[in-house]
Amino acid sequence: MVAIKQQFEVPAKLKTWSLALTAIGALAIIIGFVHWGLSPDQHQKDIFWGTVMYNSIFFMLITNASMFFICATTLAMGGWQTAFRRVPEAISTVVPIFGLIAFSVLIYITWGMGSSTHIYQWLNKAQLEKDGNAEVLKKLGFLNPYFFFIWTTLAIGLWSLLGYRMRKLSREADEASLKGEEPGRSFILRNTISAAVFIVWFALTVGSTIPWLWMMSIDANWYSTMYSWYTFASSFVSGMSLIALWVIYLKNKGYLEYTNEEHLHDLGKFMFAFSIFWTYLWFSQYMLIWYGNIPEETVYFKHRVQGPYKGIFFLNIIINFVCPILILMKRSAKRNYTLVTFMAVLIIFGHWIDFYQMVMGSIRKESASLSWLDFGTAAFFVGMMIYIVANSLSKKPLVPKYHPFLKESLIYNT
Amino acid sequence: MHLKYESPLREPLVYGTKDYHQVTEDIVRPIEAKPSKLWYIGFFISVSLLMFGVYAVYRDVTYGIGQWNLNKTIGWGWDITNFVWWVGIGHAGTLISAILLLFRQGWRTGVNRAAEAMTIFAVMCAGQFPIWHMGRVWMAFFVMPYPNSRGPLWPNFNSPLLWDVFAISTYFTVSLLFWYSGLLPDLATVRDRAKTKLRKKLYGIASFGWIGSTKHWQRHESLSLVLAGLSTPLVLSVHTIVSFDFATSVIPGWHTTIFPPYFVAGAVFSGFAMVQTLMVIVRKVFGLGDYITMGHIEAMNKVIVLTGSIVGVAYLTELFMGWYSQNKYEGYTFWYSRANPFSPYGWSYWGMMTCNVLSPQIFWFRKLRRNLYVTFFMSVIVNIGMWFERFVIIVTSLYRDYLPSSWSVYYHPTVWEIGFYLGTFGLFFTCFFLFAKYFPVIAIAEIKYVLKTTGESFKDKMDVQEVLETEEFAHKYVH
Repeated sequence: MVAIKQQFEVPAKLKTWSLALTAIGALAIIIGFVHWGLSPDQHQKDIFWGTVMYNSIFFMLITNASMFFICATTLAMGGWQTAFRRVPEAISTVVPIFGLIAFSVLIYITWGMGSSTHIYQWLNKAQLEKDGNAEVLKKLGFLNPYFFFIWTTLAIGLWSLLGYRMRKLSREADEASLKGEEPGRSFILRNTISAAVFIVWFALTVGSTIPWLWMMSIDANWYSTMYSWYTFASSFVSGMSLIALWVIYLKNKGYLEYTNEEHLHDLGKFMFAFSIFWTYLWFSQYMLIWYGNIPEETVYFKHRVQGPYKGIFFLNIIINFVCPILILMKRSAKRNYTLVTFMAVLIIFGHWIDFYQMVMGSIRKESASLSWLDFGTAAFFVGMMIYIVANSLSKKPLVPKYHPFLKESLIYNT
Repeated sequence: MHLKYESPLREPLVYGTKDYHQVTEDIVRPIEAKPSKLWYIGFFISVSLLMFGVYAVYRDVTYGIGQWNLNKTIGWGWDITNFVWWVGIGHAGTLISAILLLFRQGWRTGVNRAAEAMTIFAVMCAGQFPIWHMGRVWMAFFVMPYPNSRGPLWPNFNSPLLWDVFAISTYFTVSLLFWYSGLLPDLATVRDRAKTKLRKKLYGIASFGWIGSTKHWQRHESLSLVLAGLSTPLVLSVHTIVSFDFATSVIPGWHTTIFPPYFVAGAVFSGFAMVQTLMVIVRKVFGLGDYITMGHIEAMNKVIVLTGSIVGVAYLTELFMGWYSQNKYEGYTFWYSRANPFSPYGWSYWGMMTCNVLSPQIFWFRKLRRNLYVTFFMSVIVNIGMWFERFVIIVTSLYRDYLPSSWSVYYHPTVWEIGFYLGTFGLFFTCFFLFAKYFPVIAIAEIKYVLKTTGESFKDKMDVQEVLETEEFAHKYVH
């Protein structure tokens, strides 16, 4: 019998690097703030805050996707993911912290900057009246800072709280008292109930209202019923890639003995399948708007396809569709640690670009330039994410030893 | 080497102490015995309905579709509603056989055969509506693009209606292949047990000379996986394209970007409901409760509550956007023609909401998921609801045109429209009764495949492994 490495110890190097990345990112944000944020030109300010906003939303949603993954597999009575389930759990501990950052940014934009910002036109009632924008004026029942505040607080708060509950439940799987049929059954049942609550709340927020409120309302006149599901697909496929990256990292460090190519293969399948799913939603939204050719709807894509965002528009499809379908299609590719790592990084980058064009494409219509501020802000979040996830990983054993489905996850062929 | 381990917490997929032979006996019995009285009654009713449908169609061809109550405003009525309804029902078979195979869901084995058969029959029924709606049905071959002497008369590739032709015919072909290739080993089993010469001959031809060699099995497995891989995008494409029939237009209530995934979710929803209807009956009539267990029924009810809720989110999204868009036509369609219970068709919207979104929520409760009466009742309710959904989409968007002078307040189907619809029920059930009589309704070979890991009697022997500590277990069994 071989004892396995149960406890992750954060390597000093990882700590240093992640903190360095965070520091570099923070520096970039500070310089960006001085450069753009303090500019007398409101548009410059908006560019700064828009950049911080899409980054904070993106990184919060992709870490929250981990909790969605846990809850979805729990509801589906999945067993295969038990061997590495502590990894998405650790990733989801980032949600409250990134949530707080995103919350502060969003609330600063809607309350701090208020009517002076052009990010959300709907904040400036006087201007809307002056422009005679009757449509947006009629939407103010939904698009107003009060509702925005309440719904944002509830969304982030409940994701964090319900995620915490799931993680707390998971601790029981380390105790021998979970052995046997009755405790196992009750454990599964309690997990199922908690997961169901999370999923329902997730559907009411990420699956519908939140992307409308935070992102779609930047183009306050424009609308698309697909928008939220599209945002979900984008963040979920990146979230799966993030899980794969951490699993591979831990494997490389000699942890997670029970996780093998079979599990990697299935993570690869998720990355592949949801890349296609994203493409499916992308195509459905784009094609129907193109085919209908109604000016109120095509206005969203006009400058994205023909204007300054043209390059990014096509890059988005190449990275997020063409690459995954060609590279991840093969069985051997999904079982290859190097290739999956490469694809995971590419997919996260690709969807970060997608979020960039979704948000900045609406704030900064005149030009598209990914500057050092974009990369710097992303570095800040990535560095912080690495630091927090590594720290959380070290807090619990990496394998939920007494989880009723763990053995299923060990003998597992895909 | 172990390929699979299943927690004892999971319900067995096959109940009782059965060996391979017993499985064959149980499933083949209905094929070898004389049909019951119930079967004859059901078959007679189905054939009668079919005959009525044939007569209704005969009249359609003879007198033209003017005998339907369609008018200039409501140019699509029951026919397209029924078409979409049947196509949607067809989706569950492919979902169960292909997507659940890819997801390695063991419980599919109990229900996949019947669900796949149902898919094929449902698609056959669906196909009737566009074909006979053509009016001059003898010109149907015009939809095929091939070199001809008709001058500029050439299929319009920009039209989603044409995409439908290709999507549905491809889907039908692949589903048929999938179903039939799965049937081969089971048909061979029936052949080998046949007592009469004729029976042996017929099942021999039908089983394509299957001898069950390793090579046959190996090819069979690869073929299943390939067909599953092909069917998955196909099943998504079919209802996606059906949704395009509406969404590519600029009709309020039709032109909405969420349509494709929401149609697919709705299709799976209605398909599972139909599978439940059939399975509850089949397990009762043929006494197959050990194979189509409460666990199967519960799993399908979970799919129903999931897809029903997805569809619910989509309905609410649409309704919300009807207001949020501040497009007055969208607003009128959603908030007056549909959601206002006092508008002429408001009842159909609320019927849809009640049947599809509210009532399936009872399946959050385990007790109700595992109640056969509730399951059967709900499966019928869901199918009614999904019929309403298509009716709501089609008729409420059409009956108030942009031009008030062409508003058509009410649309009553004629007896021939209803007859046509009833006729497809006849077709569907006639096919299903014949299938249930002459083919194994449960995939014998696949049940045997899962018997040793998930059968009740085999689960009892798992204690040895289950008591082991994780490390010991891993050391002993993991390679």
